[in-house]
Amino acid sequence: MPQPYALLRAGFPYLKTVGVKNVIDDPLDVAFGGDGRVYVLGSAPIRITNIDHEDLGTIGDRSFGVDYGSNGEAISVPEGELFMPVQVILDREDNLYVTDEACHTVSIFSKDGDFLGRWGEYGTEEGQLNRPSGLAFDADENLYVVDTMNHRVQQFTKGGHFLKGWGSFGNGEGEFNMPWGVAVDDDGDVYISDWRNDRVQKFTPDGDFIFEFGRTGTGRGEFVRPAGIAVDHDFDIYVCDWGNNRIQLFTPEGRYVQQFTGDATLSEPAIAATRTRLRTVRLRTMADLETEKMFRGPRSVRVDENGLMWVPDFESYRLQVYRKEPFHLEPHQLAPPLKAPSLQPN
Amino acid sequence: MTTTEISLMAHLMRRAGMGATRDELEALVTQGYESVVDDLVHPERFSRGDPDIIHPYLHGPLPQEPSTDDNEDILLRYYRGIGAPGASSPGKWIFHMVNSKRPLKEKMGLFWHQVFACAPSKSAHPRTNRRQLEMFRRVGMADFRTILLELSRDPSMLFWLDNNENHKDEPNENYGRELLELFSMGVGNYTEEDVKSSAYAFTGWSFVQPAHGAVPYGKWATRFDFREADHDYGEKTFLGVTGPLDGTDVIDTVVDQPATARFIARHLYNFFVADEPPVAAWNEIPPLDPEAIDTLMAAYFESGGSIAHMLQVLFNSEFFKNARFAKVKSPTELVGGVLKLIGTYRQANPGIDHYAGATALMGQQLMAPLTVEGWQTGSGWINGGTLNERVNFAVEEVSDPDKPGIRAIIDRLGRRNGSTLTPEELVDGCLELVGPVEVEEDTRQELIAEAVADGNIIFNGNRAVTDERIVNMLQLIVSTREFQFG
Repeated sequence: MPQPYALLRAGFPYLKTVGVKNVIDDPLDVAFGGDGRVYVLGSAPIRITNIDHEDLGTIGDRSFGVDYGSNGEAISVPEGELFMPVQVILDREDNLYVTDEACHTVSIFSKDGDFLGRWGEYGTEEGQLNRPSGLAFDADENLYVVDTMNHRVQQFTKGGHFLKGWGSFGNGEGEFNMPWGVAVDDDGDVYISDWRNDRVQKFTPDGDFIFEFGRTGTGRGEFVRPAGIAVDHDFDIYVCDWGNNRIQLFTPEGRYVQQFTGDATLSEPAIAATRTRLRTVRLRTMADLETEKMFRGPRSVRVDENGLMWVPDFESYRLQVYRKEPFHLEPHQLAPPLKAPSLQPN
Repeated sequence: MTTTEISLMAHLMRRAGMGATRDELEALVTQGYESVVDDLVHPERFSRGDPDIIHPYLHGPLPQEPSTDDNEDILLRYYRGIGAPGASSPGKWIFHMVNSKRPLKEKMGLFWHQVFACAPSKSAHPRTNRRQLEMFRRVGMADFRTILLELSRDPSMLFWLDNNENHKDEPNENYGRELLELFSMGVGNYTEEDVKSSAYAFTGWSFVQPAHGAVPYGKWATRFDFREADHDYGEKTFLGVTGPLDGTDVIDTVVDQPATARFIARHLYNFFVADEPPVAAWNEIPPLDPEAIDTLMAAYFESGGSIAHMLQVLFNSEFFKNARFAKVKSPTELVGGVLKLIGTYRQANPGIDHYAGATALMGQQLMAPLTVEGWQTGSGWINGGTLNERVNFAVEEVSDPDKPGIRAIIDRLGRRNGSTLTPEELVDGCLELVGPVEVEEDTRQELIAEAVADGNIIFNGNRAVTDERIVNMLQLIVSTREFQFG
């Protein structure tokens, strides 16, 4: 889908909160499948739900009885189990791909929960991984994998065959310090949240540096360890500003638009669960509710095909959903570009 | 650099932290003992490296100063509540105790956690409980007035000792009493009337009701709340001071008492110098070293109750320097020391919770002291079951020659002695590099007898054999009675 010339941004209101504890536990990331299914990576380890909170089952098993290496690394995670999962993504067949930092692998499951395989091995050589995290497909369904501790991004076929990669440790252009998230726009350009450098870098599909934005801080357009990242069909860029407990929205050029700090309300199942606990209801009448709406430790942000922004609210057992309200503009529908801000509206 | 200097520095770092590697010890000896002590009591000179146990943005304002520390954010990324794979709070705390660049700050967290024992079992509100630990770490070396004031405003403590139920028309004496009995002066230094006045002074000291329980969205840490309408503004008399006293006035009076200075001095002595009898017996049994207590009391009064100053005096004293191996290691010290020795978990890897489980099996479940009196220390740590756990743990942990710390010992032994190591050199070398550990001569001879059976170690021979023999010796050393002392 081509990038729109411009947007009239009507708003980006909070839509609803999905989930409740014991259903959406420790949500790390979300992915979207057919029939409105939402796959939530967390403690389940993958819970299937939808915008209507339905509990549609789980995929995979959590691993607990792993063997540790001499320095504590989990070196033996059984197939089909996940120990330190980070991100999940679906291909066009609705198969799920999940990174696991503990065993340096990408595991693959069918939408019905069948374990289809796993690839990836620990190391620093081309095609090897050291704590893989972010995942994104390009238009050809080749998979970008952020290779966190090797400070690079690599691309593989869905079967794990190495295709290309770039990046090394540092803070210059094309260098990374423990990158986390990756996203691909409709032109195939690649966005990497450069976690420990507190910035986002954009590259061509060949790995050529295009631009960067962000710096360390708590202000607008600043980051404290950006984690997940997403790009929608308008080429807007969403950055999960993990250390600042917020999502920041940027234009395709990297200009700050707005931030989201959380607006959660009690979901329908949360209301039901709460009302079965009389003491909880009473305490709630006495409580300071100011902070409960806010994000706590979000690690990812995703945008679905309907333009809904989903934020896995990691420490609060819920997903917060927002609806973008944009109007695409042609050049004749707005004034020509201005070189400077102005106080004259017309 | 002499063995004595190394031994003294190792002693300091065992007490002020979780020990140090041989390389670290040599660097610290070069720096100089008093300079190291000065650094220890000034943790602000070093980058944080000890962050996340409770992170400021779990609740409340956004962080104002993004961390530039080497590992804070990495710990948050990998050890922050990801369900099972990361680590529990005790696990993370152990990580910090082992790796912090501010080891005394962590140790003081452990100290106050013992003195102001507060278990989460009652509140089941870990986010609030973790904040208490953060407070201990934050103000642990401040003046005692500040510490008591923070403690008296800590929601976890207020709930643990029922001060949220302490109303002006229905007082609850629990906190007001324990503040005097267990947290400052000790029994025999106040009257029942003082307890009542203390309780009335703390009426209205409560906390904001947090939003949720476990369901539906988890818990939010809460904060102190002074409920003016619930506070008794009437006149009270406390330790001879009369007026419309509130909790702050009570604390101001408490910290001026010699009994308080003695109480804290004895706690510091018991924790950092040598094992004293249980706290409950302090009224009947005099201090092990009355002059040391007097010295620490003088440090208290000359510094306005500064714990940092007391610690500086303590660590630079002869009574401290002469107290090597005069304390039974607490389970946390044993586990932390072994982790230092073997060199693992310098990065945030999975599995750190195993070590929190280990301390619990040895009788010290961090963040869950059994009673308000804390744990029974000294010989109280040792019984048939816990001794077995302690020895088995240490033996298992030193069994892998490829762990970084074990490999470093093997390499040093090889470098130091050329191609051959006699049984005596093996024993003495291992004893030195494990601690140095000072063992009785009988113990040393038994170790040598074990080593003699297999003759000299040839370093250019079979590496597997060399590794095995050194590891076996290390296992024997960590099994000795002497290794249980710090």
